[in-house]
Amino acid sequence: MNVTCKDRERIFEDGSAADWAALEAHAAACAACAEEVRAWKSLSVAAKQLQDYSPNPQLWTRIERALVEEDARKAQRAARKRWLSFFPAISVGWQAALAAAFVLILTVSVGWKLLVPVSEVDRGQHDQSLLKSAALKEVESTERAYEKAIDKLAAEAKPQLEDPATPLMANYHEKLLVLDSAINDLRAQAGLNPSNAQLRHQLLATYQEKQQTLEEVLEARK
Amino acid sequence: MGTMGLALPWKARIASAPREAAAASAVTRAGDPATAGKWGTRVEGSEHLGSGPQGAAAEAATEDAALAAACRAGDLRAYERLYSLHGAKMKNLARNVLGSPVDAEDAVQETFLKVQRSIASFRGQSSFVTWTYRILINTCYDARRSRLRKKEVTTDDDSEETPRIEPRAPGAHPSLRMALECALGKLTRHQRDVFLLYEVEGFRHAEIAGMLEITEAASKNTLFQAKRNLREMLEPPRSSSAPSRA
Repeated sequence: MNVTCKDRERIFEDGSAADWAALEAHAAACAACAEEVRAWKSLSVAAKQLQDYSPNPQLWTRIERALVEEDARKAQRAARKRWLSFFPAISVGWQAALAAAFVLILTVSVGWKLLVPVSEVDRGQHDQSLLKSAALKEVESTERAYEKAIDKLAAEAKPQLEDPATPLMANYHEKLLVLDSAINDLRAQAGLNPSNAQLRHQLLATYQEKQQTLEEVLEARK
Repeated sequence: MGTMGLALPWKARIASAPREAAAASAVTRAGDPATAGKWGTRVEGSEHLGSGPQGAAAEAATEDAALAAACRAGDLRAYERLYSLHGAKMKNLARNVLGSPVDAEDAVQETFLKVQRSIASFRGQSSFVTWTYRILINTCYDARRSRLRKKEVTTDDDSEETPRIEPRAPGAHPSLRMALECALGKLTRHQRDVFLLYEVEGFRHAEIAGMLEITEAASKNTLFQAKRNLREMLEPPRSSSAPSRA
């Protein structure tokens, strides 16, 4: 293949190995082309000055860490997406209904929280004034036993009271009639509201008063 | 600036670099034709001779596909393999585009992250490695643009898009290297990219075409223009006997 000086630039741009061989053969006899070819190839040699492949051992560690972190973030995003994936599948109407329900639940919860202190106080009072069924049964049985005992005491004192020998005995008699009347009233109220501990306390106090009065009557007989 | 290239006579500089000439021959990869003659110029066998080792090319394609598949599967060792094969070259390319080793390392790291993020969208239209280098080049130019924007915000200096060149480890010809770096900064982006990819990193025009999304002919022509411009910038005044160029 014969080449001339005119072919030089074409070969520089896109010459085949055969073209280059022919150009170099031509350059052996042509000083101008020899200089051009040498200078052209010198650029390729000079380019190697820009090669710096000195390793940095830390770089891969850095990249690896970044890749692992990115992978973890990706997994988190995927998990979040999975969790919420049902949401777009339902209609807008249902989404609105769910949102409304959520708002309602939130409002009720907040309202409940705000009302809790008042309710607590009320509940505390009810706890003190109300007797539970087991306690009520126990109180009623004790009352019945107490009543029987007092009735026995009253039976003993009956002769003195029905025929009072002294004004004091007459006063005791009147007092016992008042206490019996009070006991009957309280028992009627307790029958209507058996769990009311206050009534039970008053009834007990009245029984105790009656017991004490009967004891005094019996003491006066001696 | 071209005067920097004139600090040493051109002939003396090249003549004193036999090691570089030998290295240049060594750098041309298997599959590339050997050099054409005593000057060590790389002429691409696959493009001109059609006698490249088919087995080696097929093997490279298989490895490339396997690497892409492993990366797609999230295998960290595949990324490590990619780094061990191309990390140094990627960093060197980024270093030459950005001018700073620190920025270059950031760009390489960012490239790996981008590969990881978008590997699912890789369809194999080009080789995986080519695709990775395309990401690297785009990342480098994104970094340059971002650096320029910052510079514009902080100063009112002219916004000429030239790499900020930082000192390298001393080489055999630091003045030649510096002159070349400065001259490269004056080339167009495409000329610089093609020159760096072909002459420095040793890629073939077919690969460069894939990386820069241009044709092979455009890659060859751009390299020719780049070298002609560089020669004009670096060459000392020639004797009148030299023939005029077209």
